[in-house]
Amino acid sequence: MLRFLLLRSGRALLTVALVVTFAFVVLRLSGDPALLIMSVDAPPEAIAAFRRAWGLDDPIWQQYLRYFGAIAQGELGQSMRDGRPAIELVAERIPATLALTLPALLIKLGLGIPAGIYAALHRDSAVDRLVMVAAVAGFTVPSFVLGLVLVLVFSVQLGWLPSGGQDGWLHAVLPTMTLGIGGAAVLARFTRSAMLEVLGQPYMRTASAKGLPWRRAVLSHALPNAAIPTVTIVGFMVGSLIAGAVVVESVFSWPGVGRLLVVAVSNRDLAVVQCILLLVAVTMVTANFVVDLMYGLLDPRLRSGAKGGH
Amino acid sequence: MPMLTRRHAIGLMAAAPAPLILPRFAIAQGDDRPSITVAVQKIANSNTLETLREQSNVGTRTFYSYAETLIDMDWAGDLSLRPGLATAWRRIDERTVELTLREGVRFHNGDLMTAEDVAFSFGPERMWGGATEAGAKGLFGSVTGGAAGREAPAEVVAVAKRGFPALDRVEVVDPRTVRFVNRTPDVTLEGRISRNIGVVVSRRAFAEASSWLEWARRPVGTGPYRVGEFRPDQVLVLEAFDEYWGGRPPLKQIRFVEVPEVASRINGLRSGEYDFACDIPPDQIAEIERDPRHEVVGGLITNHRMTVFDKNHPQLANPLVRRAMTHAIDRQAIVDALWGGRTQVPRGLQFEFYGDLFQADWAVPAYDPAEARRLVKQSGYAGDPIPYRLLSNYYTNQVATAQVLVESWREIGLNVEIQMKENFPQVLEKGATRAVRDWSNSAPFNDPVSSLVAQHGPTGQQWQIGEWRNDEMGTLSAEMETSTDRDRRRKAFRRMLEICEREDPAYTVLHQTANFTAKRRDIQWRAAQSFVMDFRGRNWGGMRS
Repeated sequence: MLRFLLLRSGRALLTVALVVTFAFVVLRLSGDPALLIMSVDAPPEAIAAFRRAWGLDDPIWQQYLRYFGAIAQGELGQSMRDGRPAIELVAERIPATLALTLPALLIKLGLGIPAGIYAALHRDSAVDRLVMVAAVAGFTVPSFVLGLVLVLVFSVQLGWLPSGGQDGWLHAVLPTMTLGIGGAAVLARFTRSAMLEVLGQPYMRTASAKGLPWRRAVLSHALPNAAIPTVTIVGFMVGSLIAGAVVVESVFSWPGVGRLLVVAVSNRDLAVVQCILLLVAVTMVTANFVVDLMYGLLDPRLRSGAKGGH
Repeated sequence: MPMLTRRHAIGLMAAAPAPLILPRFAIAQGDDRPSITVAVQKIANSNTLETLREQSNVGTRTFYSYAETLIDMDWAGDLSLRPGLATAWRRIDERTVELTLREGVRFHNGDLMTAEDVAFSFGPERMWGGATEAGAKGLFGSVTGGAAGREAPAEVVAVAKRGFPALDRVEVVDPRTVRFVNRTPDVTLEGRISRNIGVVVSRRAFAEASSWLEWARRPVGTGPYRVGEFRPDQVLVLEAFDEYWGGRPPLKQIRFVEVPEVASRINGLRSGEYDFACDIPPDQIAEIERDPRHEVVGGLITNHRMTVFDKNHPQLANPLVRRAMTHAIDRQAIVDALWGGRTQVPRGLQFEFYGDLFQADWAVPAYDPAEARRLVKQSGYAGDPIPYRLLSNYYTNQVATAQVLVESWREIGLNVEIQMKENFPQVLEKGATRAVRDWSNSAPFNDPVSSLVAQHGPTGQQWQIGEWRNDEMGTLSAEMETSTDRDRRRKAFRRMLEICEREDPAYTVLHQTANFTAKRRDIQWRAAQSFVMDFRGRNWGGMRS
């Protein structure tokens, strides 16, 4: 177990280091932050002064070493846009994002998994087809389109809900629905196909043949076995709680981490971008780690380290 | 003589606190002024409200409500200079302007504006001190001057220097009079004073701020509205400042909310959450106005869209090729097709508010494909590709305009190839593929020095990044900046237009920029010839019932 934990931790650290390096290379080589933050029409002297003040004049490798060294010491740097610590800026936005993504996760789980199970248990029925049509629609419609459609219906036509901003819980309804519906569709599809695969397994026929009630066979044998791919997807969803609402936050003018990321990337505000990426990487790695542990709980064959087919 | 009885005394004692309570109650009850919400694409690029730092179009939109300059501009009229915090001004000599300050002007902290406040606003602490770069070690482990102390960041000083390149000092003559003294003759000094970097701010409030950043996020000026709340990237709330020298503001509160998506701004207007929605693309105007409750206002602003050339690119080194490109463009077709005729083809890089410097008989190169083909042939152009670095609609209709241009150039035998870029640094990066790009030029004040000289002269961007230079243009720029002879300046400006737009094209103007704002039709409000939004009583006609 210790070896397993050490191996996973090492891989997680390597992943984070690669993410940080990738962020630096892509952002630093694809645009000068001084020109982007100061605007193209700023006097050249102002841009030069900004560049000097932030060390952007130094050779790129020196900037990288300084950048990486600082992160290794836990120093996440200041936003070049306004000089505040990047971690402070990001931390301010996390509650707003979680206010959308956590309820959305509940919608995804509460809607997607039961719908997928029900559709699988009633394969080829009208309900199954209806669930799959809805799931495919929800899965394929981009979130910004879904968001705008919801706004047109519930804000513009009916006038029931606000179209954007963050002035109370009512403002969170449409963005949460947008996130939740799309995710529920994904989960419904995965759950259904996982259940169908399990329901066709010989052990399910054996369970029925030896007289186990169908309901118990499903609960005891089908659901735990079908849960593994579903748990994998849920792991991804949990991992993207922090930065999984970039598009939706933009459409609904919701001041969360996603909006901050868009603004920081477009300004090449490196410290803020890398702070968010680190947070996302850590969340994702942690979620994957938990998922790995859950595999062991769900499937005893995986506890001994035997490789499964997942 | 009336006797003071015990009953009277008790009555008076009971009534004594009443004035402390009742007027406030009366104001609260009587303040039936409307509050409005304005949806903007961006509130501030720099996350500050200090005009010396926030040098953007989006900042121009908000500053006019909370801060004011000594010399104002008639934004909704002919853009002429008019009294602002100064009631009058006069020339002492070619280097000096004397201004008479308005009496009874109060800052948002209640202080009366003094000549010392004016001198402070143009003094070293706000404009010229700058950040000492010691301690600024780069991205990590350091704090910008602005965040750490009251010393302004280095870029603020650079902006001030560009705005007032030769300002020597501001002298306090008496409590109501100040003098701006330049080191060199400058006929544009009044225009420079009218720029938004010249807003007058409270000296005491600046001193009381714990850091420059705190100051820059809540500047204390004299405008009709004071900063109530500023959450960067989210919302700016301005509240009525009832002691405003120009009278009680007509609005109780103005909320500028940041809504980056244009569809979301329009939807919010339709659902009634926003009263104004800014930055509306022309192709959305008809759709918005289909709803009788809404209209789109605005139009031409003091900014021209242009195509810019790098004369060092091998295919563009010959001015004949650039000249051919300027003759190949049917500018009116672009205006009609992409802007629905809501803008115009201007008379080159100049604006009518230049007054007698405006060259009324000047025009952009005529659309003449035959002449363009002749020039291409004469140039000996062999068909090599000419790269055109393009951003995806940074400017309104940018990509569609570029496609029109490329086809127009193809028609005259030029092989121009679009290269999509993500941001301006990529567009401006020096290299073999820098040849053609887009730009826009504004005129912040009423003189060609603010546009043609500032953008294309020796201190301008094109010259500085090695895209274009012309020695005669350099000489003429210096003359424009220092000469006080009106005729000589007029001739110099004419010659500069000839060089930059005809002989050795640095750019070619495509059309004037138009800025559109959607709003509730029942609100009586006029848009300015700028991004400025004026919510003073003089520009607010109320809401039609």
